[in-house]
Amino acid sequence: MSDAATDDTAFERYVLPEIEVLLRVANSLTRNHAEAEDLVQDTLLRAYRAIDGFDGRYPRAWLLTILRNTHINRNRRRRPELLRDPDAATDRMISAASDERTDEGVDDEIDVEIIRALASLDEPFRQVVELVDIDGLSYAEAAEVLDVPVGTVMSRLHRARSRIRDRLVKVGFDPRSEL
Amino acid sequence: MRKLLGRTPPGGMSCHQVGEVLQQYLDGHIDADRARRIEAHLDECRRCGMEADTYERIKSTLVAHRPQVPAESIDRLREFGERLARGEEPTRP
Repeated sequence: MSDAATDDTAFERYVLPEIEVLLRVANSLTRNHAEAEDLVQDTLLRAYRAIDGFDGRYPRAWLLTILRNTHINRNRRRRPELLRDPDAATDRMISAASDERTDEGVDDEIDVEIIRALASLDEPFRQVVELVDIDGLSYAEAAEVLDVPVGTVMSRLHRARSRIRDRLVKVGFDPRSEL
Repeated sequence: MRKLLGRTPPGGMSCHQVGEVLQQYLDGHIDADRARRIEAHLDECRRCGMEADTYERIKSTLVAHRPQVPAESIDRLREFGERLARGEEPTRP
Protein backbone atom coordinates (compact mmCIF):
# COMPACT_ATOMS: atom_id res chain seq x y z
CA MET A 1 0.00 0.00 0.00
CA SER A 2 2.54 2.56 -1.05
CA ASP A 3 0.54 4.49 -3.64
CA ALA A 4 -1.13 7.53 -2.06
CA ALA A 5 -4.49 6.96 -3.75
CA THR A 6 -4.48 3.32 -2.64
CA ASP A 7 -3.65 4.40 0.91
CA ASP A 8 -6.59 6.79 0.91
CA THR A 9 -8.90 4.01 -0.31
CA ALA A 10 -7.54 1.65 2.35
CA PHE A 11 -8.15 4.26 5.01
CA GLU A 12 -11.72 4.70 3.82
CA ARG A 13 -12.32 0.96 3.67
CA TYR A 14 -10.67 -0.15 6.91
CA VAL A 15 -10.80 2.81 9.24
CA LEU A 16 -13.96 4.84 8.69
CA PRO A 17 -16.40 1.96 9.46
CA GLU A 18 -14.76 1.53 12.89
CA ILE A 19 -15.27 5.09 14.12
CA GLU A 20 -18.29 4.32 16.31
CA VAL A 21 -16.61 1.29 17.93
CA LEU A 22 -13.48 3.36 18.56
CA LEU A 23 -15.56 6.08 20.19
CA ARG A 24 -17.35 3.57 22.43
CA VAL A 25 -14.05 2.06 23.54
CA ALA A 26 -12.53 5.51 24.04
CA ASN A 27 -15.48 6.39 26.26
CA SER A 28 -14.85 3.28 28.34
CA LEU A 29 -11.17 4.16 28.69
CA THR A 30 -11.56 7.87 29.44
CA ARG A 31 -15.07 8.02 30.95
CA ASN A 32 -15.37 11.47 29.43
CA HIS A 33 -17.06 12.26 26.11
CA ALA A 34 -14.86 15.21 25.13
CA GLU A 35 -11.66 13.38 25.96
CA ALA A 36 -12.90 10.29 24.13
CA GLU A 37 -13.56 12.28 20.97
CA ASP A 38 -10.08 13.84 21.13
CA LEU A 39 -8.57 10.40 21.65
CA VAL A 40 -10.34 8.96 18.59
CA GLN A 41 -9.32 11.96 16.50
CA ASP A 42 -5.67 11.40 17.44
CA THR A 43 -6.13 7.71 16.69
CA LEU A 44 -7.54 8.43 13.22
CA LEU A 45 -4.64 10.73 12.43
CA ARG A 46 -2.08 8.15 13.56
CA ALA A 47 -3.88 5.44 11.60
CA TYR A 48 -3.84 7.62 8.51
CA ARG A 49 -0.11 8.17 8.83
CA ALA A 50 0.50 4.44 9.38
CA ILE A 51 -1.91 3.02 6.80
CA ASP A 52 0.81 2.26 4.24
CA GLY A 53 2.33 -0.24 6.68
CA PHE A 54 -0.97 -1.95 7.45
CA ASP A 55 -1.48 -5.32 5.76
CA GLY A 56 -5.29 -5.17 5.71
CA ARG A 57 -5.79 -7.97 8.22
CA TYR A 58 -7.84 -7.41 11.37
CA PRO A 59 -8.33 -3.67 10.98
CA ARG A 60 -10.27 -3.35 14.23
CA ALA A 61 -7.47 -4.99 16.24
CA TRP A 62 -4.94 -2.76 14.48
CA LEU A 63 -6.95 0.36 15.27
CA LEU A 64 -7.53 -0.69 18.88
CA THR A 65 -3.79 -1.08 19.34
CA ILE A 66 -3.27 2.45 18.01
CA LEU A 67 -6.05 3.71 20.27
CA ARG A 68 -4.51 2.04 23.32
CA ASN A 69 -1.04 3.40 22.63
CA THR A 70 -2.41 6.86 21.94
CA HIS A 71 -4.36 6.74 25.20
CA ILE A 72 -1.24 5.71 27.15
CA ASN A 73 0.83 8.47 25.55
CA ARG A 74 -1.81 11.09 26.27
CA ASN A 75 -2.02 10.00 29.91
CA ARG A 76 1.74 10.04 30.22
CA ARG A 77 1.79 13.64 29.01
CA ARG A 78 -1.24 14.85 30.91
CA ARG A 79 -1.35 12.74 34.06
CA PRO A 80 2.15 11.74 35.13
CA GLU A 81 0.71 10.70 38.51
CA LEU A 82 -0.87 7.72 36.78
CA LEU A 83 2.57 6.24 36.27
CA ARG A 84 3.60 6.77 39.89
CA ASP A 85 0.54 5.39 41.61
CA PRO A 86 -1.85 3.93 39.09
CA ASP A 87 -4.32 2.47 41.58
CA ALA A 88 -4.75 5.59 43.68
CA ALA A 89 -4.83 7.79 40.60
CA THR A 90 -7.45 5.61 38.96
CA ASP A 91 -9.56 5.71 42.08
CA ARG A 92 -9.35 9.47 42.13
CA MET A 93 -10.28 9.64 38.46
CA ILE A 94 -13.31 7.44 39.00
CA SER A 95 -14.54 9.41 41.98
CA ALA A 96 -13.76 12.77 40.40
CA ALA A 97 -15.15 12.10 36.97
CA SER A 98 -18.80 12.66 36.35
CA ASP A 99 -19.77 9.08 35.75
CA GLU A 100 -22.08 8.99 32.77
CA ARG A 101 -23.02 5.39 33.47
CA THR A 102 -25.33 6.08 36.37
CA ASP A 103 -28.59 4.40 37.20
CA GLU A 104 -30.56 7.55 36.52
CA GLY A 105 -33.70 6.80 34.57
CA VAL A 106 -33.53 3.07 35.21
CA ASP A 107 -36.79 1.87 36.73
CA ASP A 108 -36.30 -1.86 37.16
CA GLU A 109 -34.91 -2.69 40.58
CA ILE A 110 -32.75 -5.52 39.26
CA ASP A 111 -31.40 -3.34 36.47
CA VAL A 112 -30.44 -0.71 39.04
CA GLU A 113 -28.69 -3.34 41.12
CA ILE A 114 -26.74 -4.62 38.10
CA ILE A 115 -25.62 -1.13 37.07
CA ARG A 116 -24.59 -0.27 40.62
CA ALA A 117 -22.73 -3.56 40.93
CA LEU A 118 -20.82 -2.77 37.73
CA ALA A 119 -19.92 0.71 38.99
CA SER A 120 -18.63 -0.74 42.26
CA LEU A 121 -16.15 -3.09 40.57
CA ASP A 122 -12.44 -2.32 40.67
CA GLU A 123 -11.22 -0.64 37.49
CA PRO A 124 -9.65 -3.68 35.74
CA PHE A 125 -12.82 -5.71 36.24
CA ARG A 126 -15.27 -2.95 35.37
CA GLN A 127 -13.30 -2.09 32.26
CA VAL A 128 -13.32 -5.60 30.86
CA VAL A 129 -17.11 -5.91 31.36
CA GLU A 130 -17.62 -2.57 29.63
CA LEU A 131 -15.41 -3.53 26.70
CA VAL A 132 -16.97 -6.96 26.13
CA ASP A 133 -20.58 -6.63 27.30
CA ILE A 134 -21.27 -2.99 26.54
CA ASP A 135 -18.89 -2.10 23.73
CA GLY A 136 -19.25 -5.52 22.08
CA LEU A 137 -15.56 -6.36 21.66
CA SER A 138 -14.37 -9.94 21.32
CA TYR A 139 -12.02 -11.34 23.98
CA ALA A 140 -9.08 -10.84 21.61
CA GLU A 141 -10.05 -7.25 20.88
CA ALA A 142 -10.47 -6.45 24.58
CA ALA A 143 -7.06 -8.02 25.21
CA GLU A 144 -5.63 -5.73 22.54
CA VAL A 145 -7.07 -2.63 24.21
CA LEU A 146 -5.95 -3.62 27.70
CA ASP A 147 -2.61 -5.03 26.54
CA VAL A 148 -3.13 -8.24 28.49
CA PRO A 149 -3.36 -11.89 27.38
CA VAL A 150 -6.76 -13.21 26.25
CA GLY A 151 -6.74 -15.54 29.27
CA THR A 152 -6.55 -12.52 31.56
CA VAL A 153 -9.57 -10.98 29.85
CA MET A 154 -11.50 -14.22 30.35
CA SER A 155 -10.58 -14.60 34.01
CA ARG A 156 -11.31 -10.95 34.81
CA LEU A 157 -14.63 -11.21 33.00
CA HIS A 158 -15.53 -14.33 34.96
CA ARG A 159 -14.67 -12.74 38.30
CA ALA A 160 -16.41 -9.48 37.44
CA ARG A 161 -19.63 -11.17 36.37
CA SER A 162 -19.51 -13.46 39.40
CA ARG A 163 -19.36 -10.41 41.66
CA ILE A 164 -22.34 -8.84 39.91
CA ARG A 165 -24.21 -12.14 40.19
CA ASP A 166 -23.35 -12.44 43.90
CA ARG A 167 -24.85 -9.01 44.47
CA LEU A 168 -28.04 -10.06 42.71
CA VAL A 169 -28.24 -13.24 44.74
CA LYS A 170 -27.88 -11.18 47.94
CA VAL A 171 -30.93 -9.12 47.04
CA GLY A 172 -32.88 -12.30 46.32
CA PHE A 173 -32.89 -12.22 42.51
CA ASP A 174 -34.48 -15.33 40.98
CA PRO A 175 -34.18 -15.40 37.18
CA ARG A 176 -36.91 -18.01 36.82
CA SER A 177 -39.45 -15.81 38.61
CA GLU A 178 -39.20 -13.34 35.71
CA LEU A 179 -40.22 -15.88 33.08
CA MET B 1 -25.95 -33.40 42.52
CA ARG B 2 -26.16 -36.62 44.48
CA LYS B 3 -29.01 -37.88 42.32
CA LEU B 4 -26.80 -37.56 39.24
CA LEU B 5 -24.24 -40.02 40.54
CA GLY B 6 -24.22 -43.24 38.60
CA ARG B 7 -25.73 -41.83 35.44
CA THR B 8 -24.49 -39.71 32.59
CA PRO B 9 -24.83 -36.04 33.47
CA PRO B 10 -27.06 -33.89 31.24
CA GLY B 11 -25.40 -33.15 27.92
CA GLY B 12 -22.60 -35.53 28.86
CA MET B 13 -21.01 -32.72 30.87
CA SER B 14 -20.73 -32.28 34.62
CA CYS B 15 -21.79 -29.07 36.36
CA HIS B 16 -18.12 -28.32 36.96
CA GLN B 17 -17.29 -28.73 33.26
CA VAL B 18 -20.19 -26.50 32.27
CA GLY B 19 -19.21 -23.89 34.86
CA GLU B 20 -15.72 -23.70 33.41
CA VAL B 21 -16.96 -22.75 29.93
CA LEU B 22 -20.26 -21.06 30.73
CA GLN B 23 -18.95 -17.53 30.17
CA GLN B 24 -17.46 -18.48 26.81
CA TYR B 25 -20.73 -20.13 25.85
CA LEU B 26 -22.75 -17.03 26.79
CA ASP B 27 -20.35 -14.85 24.79
CA GLY B 28 -20.60 -17.10 21.73
CA HIS B 29 -16.93 -18.06 21.93
CA ILE B 30 -17.50 -21.79 21.73
CA ASP B 31 -17.96 -24.30 18.91
CA ALA B 32 -21.43 -25.47 17.86
CA ASP B 33 -21.03 -29.06 19.07
CA ARG B 34 -19.97 -28.04 22.55
CA ALA B 35 -22.68 -25.38 22.65
CA ARG B 36 -25.31 -28.05 21.98
CA ARG B 37 -24.00 -30.19 24.84
CA ILE B 38 -24.00 -27.20 27.18
CA GLU B 39 -27.57 -26.34 26.15
CA ALA B 40 -28.64 -29.92 26.87
CA HIS B 41 -27.11 -29.63 30.34
CA LEU B 42 -28.69 -26.25 31.03
CA ASP B 43 -32.10 -27.59 30.00
CA GLU B 44 -31.93 -30.40 32.53
CA CYS B 45 -29.87 -29.00 35.40
CA ARG B 46 -31.85 -26.43 37.36
CA ARG B 47 -28.85 -24.99 39.21
CA CYS B 48 -26.72 -24.45 36.12
CA GLY B 49 -29.76 -23.27 34.16
CA MET B 50 -30.47 -20.58 36.77
CA GLU B 51 -26.81 -19.60 36.77
CA ALA B 52 -26.91 -19.14 33.00
CA ASP B 53 -30.20 -17.22 33.19
CA THR B 54 -28.70 -14.85 35.76
CA TYR B 55 -25.65 -14.14 33.61
CA GLU B 56 -27.84 -13.64 30.56
CA ARG B 57 -29.95 -11.16 32.52
CA ILE B 58 -26.83 -9.26 33.57
CA LYS B 59 -25.59 -9.07 30.00
CA SER B 60 -28.95 -8.05 28.53
CA THR B 61 -29.34 -5.32 31.15
CA LEU B 62 -25.90 -3.90 30.40
CA VAL B 63 -26.61 -3.91 26.66
CA ALA B 64 -30.08 -2.37 27.13
CA HIS B 65 -28.67 0.49 29.20
CA ARG B 66 -25.62 0.97 27.04
CA PRO B 67 -24.73 4.66 27.10
CA GLN B 68 -25.34 6.37 23.80
CA VAL B 69 -22.32 7.84 22.11
CA PRO B 70 -23.19 11.39 21.05
CA ALA B 71 -24.27 11.43 17.39
CA GLU B 72 -22.59 14.80 16.89
CA SER B 73 -19.26 13.30 18.04
CA ILE B 74 -19.58 10.53 15.46
CA ASP B 75 -20.47 13.08 12.77
CA ARG B 76 -17.46 15.25 13.61
CA LEU B 77 -15.11 12.26 13.65
CA ARG B 78 -16.53 10.90 10.40
CA GLU B 79 -16.01 14.26 8.75
CA PHE B 80 -12.47 14.37 10.13
CA GLY B 81 -11.84 10.86 8.81
CA GLU B 82 -13.33 11.63 5.39
CA ARG B 83 -11.04 14.63 5.05
CA LEU B 84 -8.09 12.38 5.86
CA ALA B 85 -9.36 9.86 3.31
CA ARG B 86 -9.35 12.62 0.69
CA GLY B 87 -5.69 13.14 1.45
CA GLU B 88 -6.10 16.22 3.62
CA GLU B 89 -4.59 16.49 7.07
CA PRO B 90 -7.00 18.92 8.69
CA THR B 91 -5.99 21.09 11.56
CA ARG B 92 -7.71 20.22 14.81
CA PRO B 93 -11.13 21.89 15.16
